[in-house]
Amino acid sequence: MPTIIELPVVPQPLPANWTAPASSGKSISPLVERRLLPAGQAYLEHVRRAVHNLSFEEHDKHAEEERKRLEALNGNGTGIEDDLGVGDEEETEELLTLDPKEWKKQDHYAVLGLSHLRYKATPEQIKIAHRKKVLKHHPDKKAGVAGDSNDDAFFKCIQKAFDVLMNPERRRQFDSVDPYFDLIEADVPTASQVQKAKNPEKFFFEAFGPVFEREARFSRKQPVPMLGSYDDPKEVVEAFYDFWYNFDSWRSFEYLDKEVNEGSDNRDDKRYTEKKNKAERQRRKKEDTARLRNIVDTALSVDPRIKRIRQEEKEAREAKKKNKGPANAQTAKQKAEEEKRKAEEEAKRKAEEEAAARAEAKKAKAAAANAAKKARRAARAATEGGQPEAA
Amino acid sequence: MAAQPNGTAEAPIEVSSLPTVVGINFGNSYASIAVLSKEGGADCIANEDGERQIACAIAFHGEEMYIGNQAKQQLVKNSQNTITGFRNLLGKKFSEISANASSTSAPVIQHPEIPDEPAYKVQILQPAPSPLPTTATNTPAASKTATPRSEPVPADRYLTVSEVTTIFLKSLIKSAEDFLGKKVQGAVITIPTWFEQAQKDALEKAANDAGITVLQLLEEAGAATVCTTSGPVPEGLSVDRTQLIVDLGASGLSLSLLSLRDGLAHSLATLSDHTVGGDAIDDKLVKFFAKEFTKKTKTPLNVCPATDAQDRRAEAKLRLALEHTKRTISASPGAATCSVESLKDGLDFTATITRLRFDMEVRSIYDHVYAKVKELVSAAGLDLYDVDEIVYVGGSASLPGLDESLTLGFAESVVTPFKQGTVVGGGAGDPTTILSRGAALQAKILIQLGESTEEEREVKASFTHGHQYTQAKATSKTIGLLFPEENAGEGSLGGQWIPVVLRETPVPARRIVAFDVDLGEGEGEKKVGFEVWEAKEGVKIEKVKPPKVEDEEGAPEDGEEEEEEEEEEVKEKTVEKESLLTSLSFAAQHAQQKNGRWTTRLEVTMKVGEDGALEVSACEVGASAKPEGEKVVATVPAP
Repeated sequence: MPTIIELPVVPQPLPANWTAPASSGKSISPLVERRLLPAGQAYLEHVRRAVHNLSFEEHDKHAEEERKRLEALNGNGTGIEDDLGVGDEEETEELLTLDPKEWKKQDHYAVLGLSHLRYKATPEQIKIAHRKKVLKHHPDKKAGVAGDSNDDAFFKCIQKAFDVLMNPERRRQFDSVDPYFDLIEADVPTASQVQKAKNPEKFFFEAFGPVFEREARFSRKQPVPMLGSYDDPKEVVEAFYDFWYNFDSWRSFEYLDKEVNEGSDNRDDKRYTEKKNKAERQRRKKEDTARLRNIVDTALSVDPRIKRIRQEEKEAREAKKKNKGPANAQTAKQKAEEEKRKAEEEAKRKAEEEAAARAEAKKAKAAAANAAKKARRAARAATEGGQPEAA
Repeated sequence: MAAQPNGTAEAPIEVSSLPTVVGINFGNSYASIAVLSKEGGADCIANEDGERQIACAIAFHGEEMYIGNQAKQQLVKNSQNTITGFRNLLGKKFSEISANASSTSAPVIQHPEIPDEPAYKVQILQPAPSPLPTTATNTPAASKTATPRSEPVPADRYLTVSEVTTIFLKSLIKSAEDFLGKKVQGAVITIPTWFEQAQKDALEKAANDAGITVLQLLEEAGAATVCTTSGPVPEGLSVDRTQLIVDLGASGLSLSLLSLRDGLAHSLATLSDHTVGGDAIDDKLVKFFAKEFTKKTKTPLNVCPATDAQDRRAEAKLRLALEHTKRTISASPGAATCSVESLKDGLDFTATITRLRFDMEVRSIYDHVYAKVKELVSAAGLDLYDVDEIVYVGGSASLPGLDESLTLGFAESVVTPFKQGTVVGGGAGDPTTILSRGAALQAKILIQLGESTEEEREVKASFTHGHQYTQAKATSKTIGLLFPEENAGEGSLGGQWIPVVLRETPVPARRIVAFDVDLGEGEGEKKVGFEVWEAKEGVKIEKVKPPKVEDEEGAPEDGEEEEEEEEEEVKEKTVEKESLLTSLSFAAQHAQQKNGRWTTRLEVTMKVGEDGALEVSACEVGASAKPEGEKVVATVPAP
């Protein structure tokens, strides 16, 4: 590429009476002979132009082609390493003034500039992002800069974030309670929303698709079946709900534990806190399971595919019946009614019978009671009768 | 080849895409090596002793051979077997060498066999011959002869300068190969400007004997230029600049004034002087410290020149210690110490010297350098104010005092590595490594050249010395744009002057400049126009009396005694327009309104052909930085 020299000067407007003077016909002063130093890229280019007899424009084109060829040869350009799509994120003022003491509250992904990847970031990407940040924010880099040279707060935040994210267990704990998803999680479509939507089918997939996608990250079993599309067959839909009703989540809530007071030596105190934390974790876990169950329930209740499948099944049944014969089909309704009536009658009869049986049982009971009475009376009479005899 | 236990330097698989080339700065007193770094630059590397500045010295002691800084230590006790300062003798005949060659090291003598060839005679111990011939079963054969001596035999060895150079270069390359872990593919070696063809041939032969593929013998000024032009243009400089290279090595001063035009460099004037240098600085300091020693211990110590053997040894010790003192002075603003154990008569010596004192002691050398710089610049027909950048080369040039006393004479805007703070900490302007780094960068360019077609071979050949392509024509006057202004000051140019193609620009040349043009407030047609002039640049020198310092009220007024105040020279760069070449004007189509004024961005391309034909084209560029407007072209025929 030709170098363009940017000049900071701004020429003033032309005088009103100025007209371009005609060329004077003069040429530039005679050239002088010089001996170049055969050194450097510029000399090489100068020679190339002379040898190949190229004009500046042609040479530019050649140089561009050469550059492209080298780039293709060396992969992603010369000297530029592939950063695996980590990229550069803007650092807000808020982010840079984070307090490393409050590291539990910081968003580790945002600190490392990975907020576009989050739980999807691979360890390699985290490493690259960390290196990038360290190169920029290492205290040694800031030593010479005017101002507070001791300001390594953000660097500490970076180190903390890297520590957390590079440890798989701690990363899971953080991912479990990632503050970024807190807000989104609350935004789950309700059944009424789906029903009220103009196009319920489309809305269902649009609204629930991302919900299941983000919940899927917690699954121990991978891959996780996704919501899919409206045309999925019955088996797929059933498998989907089956999976989600038996969801096996690794989500845990240790990250939100209250700090055990390290300062106190009181063992009881410690145990108490630990116990409370444990209980709290279990409560949260339970809540989370319930929350997910709720989402799946809602989805199932408004899933247009279920409706469709039922409809299809019904149609299939009807089609089957139709195949048997049109007459049958005609009387199907009557038959159904008859069946219903019969069932009702049956039920009535059963109820009557039951009532009768109950009455019978009552009678029998009463009779038995009477009989027992009689027997007792008889026995008493017998003893009464006998006593005087004996007396 | 027998398998070596630790593997060989030959790597069968190319791991990295970096070519394994090195740049060697081969000075008379010190050498340095640089390799390419991953970042696309070059780094000076240390040898196995951890030295980046490797002394050009070889010493023989018994069966051992020392190379580099270890050999320098031998100058104290074993000076007769220590060879230094051999580079400058390369390619010279014995009859050409002046008799007063350095006496502290091994003497240069006539080679006993080759006529008119200088050589060094050193005493070595040859390893003892194998005591007894062995038989196939590796048992000593029965022999009637007496058992030969088993200790090493003292012998004289004659080494030609070329052989010494070969030994030294071999050790440098070995250091580089140890560092890289690979065989070196080629090297660029720096040479001083004053090297004759015979000396170049001798160096190339010595390097080839050492097994080095010499890609180019590059003039030191060229190496410095490559180093300063690779990478971004430093703050305060443009791609077109005049560069002064001050090379103050241990044994000499060489100055070059270069015209740097978009990376293309040609020399305007060069000068070399072997009377000043690091050794001369050492002389001054040795004298100073010897005086201190005498003052402290009441022991007489006569140095420079030393008379008896004891004094000579003391001087050699002081010289070695001074190396460290000078480095400390260069690196830190505080005082530096010089300490020698048992300097003379078993007395230890420790003294400190502040930077101020140091500068005072060597003031005469600074002044000498300044005088030479003035001589050089005026020889090129320029003024000190025309110099845009100073580049320092060589160990002695790292002294901040030199920069301080030199820059006094230059324009305030002159850029030096000291001003930019790139001298210390391995910065880009580090004078001790700049040559080797430049040579390595040059080697990188050369190794990538193809050789498959005739044209490619020609391109490669153009890097040899004195090739036809190094001949180029250059403009003699600055060509620029003049934007006429309504109420420009009288006597001036009558408008805004924008120099585009500076004088001393090799042709063919192309320059593209971009800038905003103010079009005024008015609506309607907006006209852009400018004239193309050839201009004469100069420096106006005015003698101005310095403003009188107001005397204190109570001071007695005795005007007779007051000295006539010296007039100060005030310099100013001037531009005079000489001849109108052509002009351009057109109506702006893509103007934008900013703060009530219309502006447009103009891109002007100026091309000077090989024959001197000038082509000026201008077009507007929009916000997208792509040329948008119509291109207006004017041409001026070749002279």
